[in-house]
Amino acid sequence: MRQPGRRKCLVQLAGCGVAACGVPLPGWGATPPVLRVLAWPGYAEPEVVQAFERAHSAKVALTVVDSDDALWQRATSNGAADFDVLAVNTAELQRYVAQGLVSPVPADAVPNRRMQLPRFQDAARIAGLVHGGKLMAVPFTYAEMGLVYDRKRVRQAPDSIRALWDPQWQGKVLAYNGGTHSFTLAAQALGLSAPFRLRKQDWPGVVDKLIALRRNAAGFYGPPEESLALFQSRGAALMLANYGAQQLKLFREAGLDVGYAIPREGALAWLDCWAIMRKTPQLALAAAWINHLLDKPASEWLVSRQGLSNTTAEPLHALGSDKLVWLEPVEDDERRNRMWARIVSGDRAAKVIAA
Amino acid sequence: MKSNLSTRLALVLAMLGMVVAGLTGWYVYGASRDLLVQAAQSKLLTATRVMARRITATREELSRDLQLLALHPDTSVLLGVADPTARLRLEAMFGSLLTSNPSYLQVRLIGAQDHGLERVRVDRHNGLPLAIGDADLQEKGHFDYVAEALKVAPGQTYLSRIAINREAGVHAGEGLPTLVASMTVRDAAGTPRGVVVINIDLRSSFESMRMDLPETFHLFFANSKGDWLIHPDASLTFGFDRGQRHLAQDTMPQTAALLQGAGDHAVFETTLNGQALAAAFIASTPVVEMHDTRLLLGLAQPLKVVLADVTQLNATIWKILIAVGVACLLVAWVLARTLVRPLAQIGAAARQFAQGQVVGALPLSREDEIGDLARTFDRMQGALAQQLKALEDSQHELSTLARQDGLTGLANRRQFHDSLQSALAQRRRTGQVVALLYVDLDKFKLINDTHGHEAGDAVLLAVAQRLRANTREVDTPARLGGDEFAVVVAQAPEDAQLAALAAKLVEAVAEPIEWKGQWFRVACSMGIARTPADGETEEQLMSAADTAMYVAKQAGQGGFRFHGLHDGGGLQV
Repeated sequence: MRQPGRRKCLVQLAGCGVAACGVPLPGWGATPPVLRVLAWPGYAEPEVVQAFERAHSAKVALTVVDSDDALWQRATSNGAADFDVLAVNTAELQRYVAQGLVSPVPADAVPNRRMQLPRFQDAARIAGLVHGGKLMAVPFTYAEMGLVYDRKRVRQAPDSIRALWDPQWQGKVLAYNGGTHSFTLAAQALGLSAPFRLRKQDWPGVVDKLIALRRNAAGFYGPPEESLALFQSRGAALMLANYGAQQLKLFREAGLDVGYAIPREGALAWLDCWAIMRKTPQLALAAAWINHLLDKPASEWLVSRQGLSNTTAEPLHALGSDKLVWLEPVEDDERRNRMWARIVSGDRAAKVIAA
Repeated sequence: MKSNLSTRLALVLAMLGMVVAGLTGWYVYGASRDLLVQAAQSKLLTATRVMARRITATREELSRDLQLLALHPDTSVLLGVADPTARLRLEAMFGSLLTSNPSYLQVRLIGAQDHGLERVRVDRHNGLPLAIGDADLQEKGHFDYVAEALKVAPGQTYLSRIAINREAGVHAGEGLPTLVASMTVRDAAGTPRGVVVINIDLRSSFESMRMDLPETFHLFFANSKGDWLIHPDASLTFGFDRGQRHLAQDTMPQTAALLQGAGDHAVFETTLNGQALAAAFIASTPVVEMHDTRLLLGLAQPLKVVLADVTQLNATIWKILIAVGVACLLVAWVLARTLVRPLAQIGAAARQFAQGQVVGALPLSREDEIGDLARTFDRMQGALAQQLKALEDSQHELSTLARQDGLTGLANRRQFHDSLQSALAQRRRTGQVVALLYVDLDKFKLINDTHGHEAGDAVLLAVAQRLRANTREVDTPARLGGDEFAVVVAQAPEDAQLAALAAKLVEAVAEPIEWKGQWFRVACSMGIARTPADGETEEQLMSAADTAMYVAKQAGQGGFRFHGLHDGGGLQV
């Protein structure tokens, strides 16, 4: 006795009714709104996500990236309409703002900003956070890229990033698979005055330096857990810690006897912020997410689970600001990443420069 | 009543039959479903194991190819010196490998020196082998398929993590799910000098293997973390490459234990895009050196397909159920009729018996309880009829005794009274004349005293016989007691004829009576009263007749007198 035809008609009728009313289906049966979050490893602990989903009757679709390039690719693909909210460092933020990919954060909708330390609340004093008087992102976590080393083999703590090129550690060095940072790092190692602004004549030298890094490296990692696996499997002695304290904590918890050193050139430091994509259809939910991530549980887990710093409490071991080199926008992200892909794939200088 | 009982009995029996058939059907359906699912899972498990063996066979073939390359003389030569001829030969060989194995994407010889610089490399490009020139050769020393493979024992294969190939310039292999297999090339001293490497397209190699499987089978493959590598929904595969995790254990919790190394297979039911599936998974630890320490392989089949037979069975069960229901109804009806009809017969017999009618046929010949009941009833009603007959007889006798004179057999005083009343009642309706003849024997006491009561009784008996003999059928002669008699003449004639009757009676009584050789002669005096001249009631008539009799007795023995007629109204016999 089934009458699929009639049933279909009924469904269509119901659909028309809903469409005519112009309101979403309320209550049961309505699909919960999905917040598409683009973040880094450890930023959104499962408990934090679940608490948010419960509080806002929403689903969170989390995508995790492990490089600025991947972040950019994901955020900008499909007309930059795939995500609602993302975590991006202040330097990278600038190209998102410049291309109009992010919208100002409705500060009123993020009351937990009041819990932040004064220096993070005062957005105007953080370079690149305020554009045209509008808050474009909310600081979330920060770290510096120090050097992690095996204390058994590296007797003396490395005091320079040049240690990464030390032939003594050939095949025992782990580097980070990220184009933007790697070029800055090489420029620093070369003693260039403006590592974020490579001049035309700087490129060949920097490329050579990076190829030399590759030849000294045992491998390149993406997310923190990959760095641990590689460190163990390759018997590495020295690593550039892109995630800083997050990796240190991870390595020590895995039972590795590792030390952490800040090079004299100054450790590259990043401040990651939450920003809202301009094309998001759910601005309020995105703002609620940012507010949720500044709340106590999320902030505390960032420290206790990930070893990262949050913006609501002072870190246990604060570094002198003279030791840190805060990331700045670079002259050409795309070029750096294009070349980096070539370098990591094993190409030699001529091929890389031609890329 | 009869039909009610049989209908109810039939319904109850039919329902009972249906319930039994339904329960049986339900159980059979459930059991069959379970059996079918189990059979399908067992079949799937076998197919999965076969698939796993095919993967192993493919891997072994891959290892043989690597070994062939690793042991090839040109390989060793090229790791030492640049030899264009040897390189050409090797490129041709690599090319033919790519041609004969459609899932091979790249074949390379990589030196341990020079930071893992590729020495010979042939890529698949637009479906054809493409030998790569010097300028495009890359340094691969930092990749696990070189760094880790160099640590592996001679002749052993190293398998990299299965991932999307993100290396730049790999031609057809770019962006494809790739497994990289490598093996060391050693010099005469056994020192590793380099590696031979083959890149395999995971999807095409699995696709060729699943060709033999039925169309409805879904293939699953996951790495040691549970990340889907092969899945019917391709958007769930290699999630880690896109910063997402789609794990086997999240949607199929039964695989968690397998990934942790507890057990090597699991069969279960699961759902995929709302479709129910029967699934069988096996997990195994690769025997070769591999980045992944455990691999998960599974096959699933829609339950709809598995249960197609049981759906057929379901329809059959329904048909059987309906047939059983109808059969039960029929059998129950027949049974009810067989049971109820004899009962109804016995019931009818009981009713007829109660109404005193002739009892109808009873099912006496039946051998069962109903036959017993009928026989018992028959015996009972026979006994009852006999007893009733005896009762009737004795009642009749009693009634006769109550209305007859014991000695003479004539009506007694009560019967006389009733007859007179009845005649008077009839007179009131028809106007007929009723006459009463009152008879008293003369000097009867003398016979009694002289010859005894026996003689007296004989005389009384004779008198009675003569009175009866000389009266009509409609008249009632009666003995009122002692030597007093009376006759009720219901339809009395004219006085003259009445007188003739009276005279006849007086004469008849006067005839001699013989008793034991002795002769007796008795006379009687008779008084006659009649309606309407002498009254209309019993008392009036009795009184009038009595008076008339006394008049007759005084006039001399043996005569009669009409009441109220003193002259010529009587006769002296």
